[in-house]
Amino acid sequence: MTKWILKGLATGIKTTAYPSVPETAPGVSPGRPGTTYFADKDMELIKHCPAKALFGKAGSVRVDYRRCIHCFQCTRTEGYPSIDWEDGFEWASLAGYPERDQVSITPLGRPFSRSVHIRIVDAGACGACMSEIAQLGKPYYNFHRLGLFVTPTPRKADILLAVGPLTDHMRLALQKTYEAMPSPRRVVAVGTCALSGGPFGPSFISGAGIHETIPVDFSVPGCPPPPLAVLHGLLLAAGRAEPVPLKSRDSARDNPGKEVR
Amino acid sequence: MRYHEQISRFKKWQKDPASSGIDGLSINFDQDIPALCLKCPADRILEVASILQEGRPVFASLVVEEDGGDWNLGYFFYGDSNEGLIRLGTSVPKNRPQLSSLSHLLHAVDWHEREVEDLFGLVFEGHPGLGDFVLHEEWPEGINPMKQGFDALTPYPHREVSPRWRPVSLVRARGAFMMPIGPVYSDYAESAHFLLETVGEDVIRTIVRLFYKYRGVEKIAQTRTVSEALLLSERFTGTSAFAHSLAFCQAIERLWKCKVPDRAVALRTFMAEIERFRHHVAAVAAIAASTGLGVATSQAAIMEEELLRLSCRLTGHRYLFGLNLPGGLSLDISDPDLRGAVREAREVLQRFQDLRRLLTYTSSFLDRIEQVGTVSRECARTTGLVGPVARASGIVKDIRKVLPYALYKDLEFACPNEKEGDGYARLRILFDECKESVKILDSIAGRLPGGPVRTKQMEPRPGAAMGWVEAPIGAAFHWVRTGKDGRIERYRISPPSFLNWHGFHLAAERFAFQDFPIILATFGLSVAESDR
Amino acid sequence: MHPESLVLLILALCGFGVFLSLILPDRFNRTVLALIGMLEAAAMLMAGAGLLLRGMSFHLSLWQFPTLGTLSIEGDALSGVFLSVTAIVLFAASLYATGQIKKYLGRYSIRRLAIYLHLLTASIVLILTAADALLFLLSWETMSILSYLLVNYEYEKKETPKAGLHMLAMSEVGTMAVAIAFLLLAKGGGGFEFSAMKATSAALSPAVRWTTFLLVFFGFGVKAGLFPVNSWLPRAYGVAPNVFTAILAGITLNLGIYGIIRLFPGLMPMNTPWPGLLMLITGSISAILGILYATKENNLKVLLAHSSIENAGIVIAAWGAGLVFLAQGHRIIAGMAFITSLYHMANHSLYKGLLFLGAGSVESGSGELDLDRLGGLIRRMPWTALFFLAGSLSIAALPPFNGFVSEWLTLQTLLQAPAINSLEIKVAFALCGAVLALTAGLAVTCFVKAFSMAFLGTARSGRARKAAEVPFTMRAPMGVLAFLCLLMGILPTYVIPTLDRAVSPMVHESVTQALVPPFFTPKETHEKLPENFIADFHDLGAQVGKDVLPGRGLVVLHRGGKKNPVVFAMSTSYTLAVLLLLLAGTYLAAKALSTGRVVRKRTAWDGGLRRLFSRMTYTATGFSNPVRVIFEAVFHPTETEDVKGESVVRHFRTAIIRERRETHIVERIFLVPVVSAMRSLSTLFARMHRGRVNLYAGYVLMCLVLALIFIKTLEILQ
Repeated sequence: MTKWILKGLATGIKTTAYPSVPETAPGVSPGRPGTTYFADKDMELIKHCPAKALFGKAGSVRVDYRRCIHCFQCTRTEGYPSIDWEDGFEWASLAGYPERDQVSITPLGRPFSRSVHIRIVDAGACGACMSEIAQLGKPYYNFHRLGLFVTPTPRKADILLAVGPLTDHMRLALQKTYEAMPSPRRVVAVGTCALSGGPFGPSFISGAGIHETIPVDFSVPGCPPPPLAVLHGLLLAAGRAEPVPLKSRDSARDNPGKEVR
Repeated sequence: MRYHEQISRFKKWQKDPASSGIDGLSINFDQDIPALCLKCPADRILEVASILQEGRPVFASLVVEEDGGDWNLGYFFYGDSNEGLIRLGTSVPKNRPQLSSLSHLLHAVDWHEREVEDLFGLVFEGHPGLGDFVLHEEWPEGINPMKQGFDALTPYPHREVSPRWRPVSLVRARGAFMMPIGPVYSDYAESAHFLLETVGEDVIRTIVRLFYKYRGVEKIAQTRTVSEALLLSERFTGTSAFAHSLAFCQAIERLWKCKVPDRAVALRTFMAEIERFRHHVAAVAAIAASTGLGVATSQAAIMEEELLRLSCRLTGHRYLFGLNLPGGLSLDISDPDLRGAVREAREVLQRFQDLRRLLTYTSSFLDRIEQVGTVSRECARTTGLVGPVARASGIVKDIRKVLPYALYKDLEFACPNEKEGDGYARLRILFDECKESVKILDSIAGRLPGGPVRTKQMEPRPGAAMGWVEAPIGAAFHWVRTGKDGRIERYRISPPSFLNWHGFHLAAERFAFQDFPIILATFGLSVAESDR
Repeated sequence: MHPESLVLLILALCGFGVFLSLILPDRFNRTVLALIGMLEAAAMLMAGAGLLLRGMSFHLSLWQFPTLGTLSIEGDALSGVFLSVTAIVLFAASLYATGQIKKYLGRYSIRRLAIYLHLLTASIVLILTAADALLFLLSWETMSILSYLLVNYEYEKKETPKAGLHMLAMSEVGTMAVAIAFLLLAKGGGGFEFSAMKATSAALSPAVRWTTFLLVFFGFGVKAGLFPVNSWLPRAYGVAPNVFTAILAGITLNLGIYGIIRLFPGLMPMNTPWPGLLMLITGSISAILGILYATKENNLKVLLAHSSIENAGIVIAAWGAGLVFLAQGHRIIAGMAFITSLYHMANHSLYKGLLFLGAGSVESGSGELDLDRLGGLIRRMPWTALFFLAGSLSIAALPPFNGFVSEWLTLQTLLQAPAINSLEIKVAFALCGAVLALTAGLAVTCFVKAFSMAFLGTARSGRARKAAEVPFTMRAPMGVLAFLCLLMGILPTYVIPTLDRAVSPMVHESVTQALVPPFFTPKETHEKLPENFIADFHDLGAQVGKDVLPGRGLVVLHRGGKKNPVVFAMSTSYTLAVLLLLLAGTYLAAKALSTGRVVRKRTAWDGGLRRLFSRMTYTATGFSNPVRVIFEAVFHPTETEDVKGESVVRHFRTAIIRERRETHIVERIFLVPVVSAMRSLSTLFARMHRGRVNLYAGYVLMCLVLALIFIKTLEILQ
């Protein structure tokens, strides 16, 4: 017993100070492609995206993060210039679905600023998203320090964290979990699969994301989103962080233009 | 009879088909797959299988393909020495899709046959457990999605579940009942459903209900391009993505006769071992967590995160997505980076071994994992377990040794094995394998060849080939058939978790309920990998 | 009316009932049986109350029996206690019968049932009032045979005749033992009159006294269900008609207890503590074994039967403790023990009657008694559930119900062991106290199981799903009994002085003063109590109610010496008040918190399953499995496991079949060896029969020679 205590003490503090201090350690996030201005001939790169996440707008290549699966084809395809790669992990946003009125989405608010309970539902995820979420509870990220806890029963949950494209066999389970939660409740869809079905959906056996079955409030894009991105999503749902858009940002010299796919 | 004797017997019969004494048995060697192919009429399959079974082959995969008016079935086996694969093939007409079940002779085939029955509508006569398996009770009987003509991309309207439907239960005893676990259970658990059959305290039998996460990868891969299918092979199981994409790439490269540059082969081996190391560290963290050992869980989790960050720094992705391509890698890694990575891995291993020492001297921990979830050697063999779980039960079968791929033929490494078959033996295997992995990393970094990491010389060619790897959980086989246009016509994944879940109930029999999470953790299986 | 004439009235009513049953058509018999039965019960209650409350007594000679003496009846307070308890249970059972026996119409003769029941009532009254051994034995035998006939009533059922014969055989052995004991007592000189026996019993030799004690104890023990002569009880209770099971448990079981306590110390005062100790130990063993088997059992009626063994064990243990104290000269504590014992006897009759009626209702409503196949009945049979819950709480000894009072007093009495001056006895008391405490704990487990598995959760069978509530005539008697259970629980301060009237003649001391001190009774003075004692109690606030209540106070306490004025104290009535306040408070708080809020009702969280199947809920077997595992040595099961596999490697499993067989420990240890010994003996005898004439001639010759030698030896010895 003593050995373990000493071992723990000897290891020291590994936990990140995010969100009070920005986290810059290499390897915490794979980063993601961002808006890049290309010559017209290179706009063909859009066609090379196997996830159909790239689109052109006003002379630039933009990224729809609901679809991007981090396949690196847009940086590593020979014959094309590399797309700009942006670091960071603050990716979470309001759910960007036309059927959801964005104004109606509000974070949980003050009563939940110190204690939020989360129920995770795996609706067909590959395991990487689950692994990244599990990292949150472990020393490097330790989200308990922010008052975030995972609960085994949805009866006590405030946030439903859903991952995976929502397979048919999990549809009922997800629905029941959502219905079992008391209000106020928020749904955070984590990972590209949960946002758009990713490489799996829509198909005969899986849907095109969680929003088809239950209303999604917040989205965390990424394949998989690194732990801090998920944490950003949770803080967003608790009203303790600001959202970023689901499509790569415009810059100052942008003209409003039509999206080209 | 040993496996190699079996092979030489078949080779003899190949020259002189009459000497086998079985009508219609034809034997030839298929260079593409590559495998020694035995083909016999459907009504003789049991006979051939019982001859085959004498060589104690290990079951790899059952591949069913549609060929005009017939179903072509191929049972793949491999042995304990480097003698290659055997394919036992037969075909049945589509209008009479019936075949004798082989699972009485070769029990490892059991779940594969159930899967094929569910997805293709092939009936295996004499199999006692056919019915709802991959497709659950809401899926209408008689609609088989893997058949050609079934539209993979439109949602399928389902019928209502019959009110009389009941989950299968095996135990018949006074007052027996089932404790349901899942599909939504525990904190970070993957979705799977367990029914623990009990009469109170001791669990008599565990029934595993999987495929809650069935995403139909094999079906949706059909008619996709190779690069699209690659995404699926990588992302159907994120925690061993590199191993599976490697198997897929190897199949394509074998089929399209593409020579992968040496540097890429070496780097692939390197990354595969990094992934194995990370996977095993995470598995140890899960085992420690299941016994409630907080500090040990945290220690292992710290190492897991460090290895994830290492992967990210090396390749840009924490789970090594987007790295493998048919023909090589999408990215070169510089030699100094690699050497730095080895240094870091060695340092992590050092701490990992310290952790092992501490665990070994914690009696309360050993009490909980020793003699828990024991699988005997005989059971492991008949059920066809693979990977670390099988090695903990005394079955020394490592694809890296018996069917070497990538650089493994030239590498010196040991294949750890234990005899007890209990939770502790499985834990020791994980620790030992990590040690070997770092040894491999070390030796690769020492003699990394130069040159490009990717070849462009690839000519799409119709045909089929098998690719295999020793994924962190065990032997994985990927069967790929491409058409003339280079699109995928059939993609079959036989993941190790699927084979091991089949044998999970052997460990989860007659145990105290509170040991269930420990048994689950020491098996260290992935649901996503099994469900596909 | 005087109790004497009431007893005669009951006998007349019984005769009238038999007459009516004979002449009326069968379809009226149901109502007539109930009406006459209730009249009998009313008369009996009046007689009992007269004897007990108003202190009346009577002696009446019935008939001069040629050569053997006079048959006479006699009534005193002890008879009064038993008559009152019998009357209440009989009343409830008679009312219940109208609804319950409807199902027999056309299948079994109700006339038969009515005649048996009336005759049984008559014989019970005679047993309880018999003043001489002859009348006692005659009515006892009549009662035994009638019990057998009633158990065997549903003779078409497969197990009934066997269980009935088992019961008859055992009770005949018991009667025989009792008869011999009476002969031994009568031989003392006085004849068959109880009063005469009492006068001469003191002069008997220790050997005769011991023999008499053992014969009486185990002879009556058969009816009371004591270890080890109780193997008939669970079987007979299991097959008896539901109305009669309540009578068996609530009335005839008491007769066994009555027999024992009428003789000791009444008829044959004991001057050594050992017989009492034997009673205490036997009672404790009966109690623990009874509750163990009850906890394990899944048939509701058989479960209750095993629990009756437990309760009889507690009653006998308390009485035994009293005998020990009496022999040691601690008359007050002995009186407390006797009161406790009688209290528990009365309580058991009430709640066991209630529970058996409840089990009968469950069977009537759902057609099922197997707890593994019941469940969720509270939604279909809410009233039965409520009354069964009251019975369960009572029997599990939870305040404010009656079981708590008597079990608490039992344990407190056993804790008075330090007063005894023998170490062995102290140790035995400590062990028995521990055993009885364990019994009380297991009783909670057992009745949590009985209630929850029958009434809560989901239905585990189609029958349970389609269950329906029983009619009013069946609910009302349960309600009456449940109310009495509560009343007996919250008013111990009134019950104890009443029982004291029956006990004080035996211990020659009134215990009321020690248990319910007068200063809680405002009408009496405080003279007897030391000042500081009163002061102490004033601080505790125990004097509450002194001026409010008209009768006795509401606190039971055992007055000690100066050093420790209060040995123990409790008040179930205050407990009830606090409980009600808490409940009301909780209800109001919940109400206040939920007003103005939307309350969403959802089904239980099932882990996202399609739905929870009844197979996924705990079964009764599963619930009691820990007890089965811990007490494996007692149950001693033989388990078989059969795996249905379809492969040589047996990995394909299509079924795992487990069976578990158990023989009751009494049968395993006592009955089976006796039966097998008899069997081998008879095989031995069978061997003699070889069928040859000269062999038989040889046997005859040998016998003759042996007889001659025997007679000759006798002659020589004389």
